[in-house]
Amino acid sequence: MGCASSKQFKRPPGYEEPAVLAAQTTFTVNEVEALRELYNKMSYSIIKDGLIHKEEFQLALFRNSRKANLFADRVFDLFDLKRNGVIEFGEFVRSLSVFHPKAPKSEKTAFAFKLYDLRGTGYIEKEELREMVLALLDESDLHLSECAVEAIVDNTFSQADSNGDGRIDPEEWEEFVKANPASLRNMDITMAFPSFVMHSEAHD
Amino acid sequence: MSVTNLNAFEIISFSKGFDLSGMFIVKEWRNEARFTSDKSASTIISKLEDVAKALNLRVRKKDNGVVKMQGRKEGRNGVLQFDIEIFEVTTSYHIIEMKQTSGDSLEYRQLLEEGIRPALKDIVLAWHGDE
Repeated sequence: MGCASSKQFKRPPGYEEPAVLAAQTTFTVNEVEALRELYNKMSYSIIKDGLIHKEEFQLALFRNSRKANLFADRVFDLFDLKRNGVIEFGEFVRSLSVFHPKAPKSEKTAFAFKLYDLRGTGYIEKEELREMVLALLDESDLHLSECAVEAIVDNTFSQADSNGDGRIDPEEWEEFVKANPASLRNMDITMAFPSFVMHSEAHD
Repeated sequence: MSVTNLNAFEIISFSKGFDLSGMFIVKEWRNEARFTSDKSASTIISKLEDVAKALNLRVRKKDNGVVKMQGRKEGRNGVLQFDIEIFEVTTSYHIIEMKQTSGDSLEYRQLLEEGIRPALKDIVLAWHGDE
């Protein structure tokens, strides 16, 4: 009314400044700003509220907003730190940070454990492992006999469950991952990430 | 040549639900490709060797389930090189991953789409990322 007031652009909830996020994650400020561009694109793609909903996440991953996938669901749930059904910007950057090639192995190991602990019991049970293997085979259209699936699950489970109590605890998981590092192959976005940042900076 | 047998967690790790690179890279720009096959490892390897011969590529088999292929001519950005890694789910199911390691990405994608993919049709169950 009297003085000119700067129009305050109202950020959606969960927004955090790039400098803050860079200081607390493995990303540089440039990388966080590039992620912000990506986040904006994703979070306004279907429901225009600046928050990433499940369909928008599915759209970005699969080019199909209705594609249901057990593992994508797990990733979404883990990214949704506040458990409010959407991924906010801060949550987005912090969670993605775990997938950065420079993130500590221990973070990746812990994240993967939570991913696979489908029911959140604090352990990976054999039924959960079996469910996940079946989901992967189904997704890839690979048809194995029950016998063959059991063999794969049993084999891995007995290797991992060193104290034989029928479930894999975080310590056993750490040991298993040390012996089988390729089990964490999905925890790195090495190939995609550098080109993403480069392409994004090209727009400045 | 021996191929790596995958444990259950390694099998799971191939899910496209974990492939977050879909958020970053447009599918057409990727220089990694993956497919499943219900053929034996030796059949897959033979087929790869045949395809290499037809496309005039040099082949080098490593011991750990990796086949290295190389173009014979210098391209826009040096010689095209890529690795093909074969993972065993069971003796009759394999996941094969192809990754470019050197050369121009556009040339590689052209080779993949126009030369390699059509030639591998007989052994491919499905390409990861194709809907």
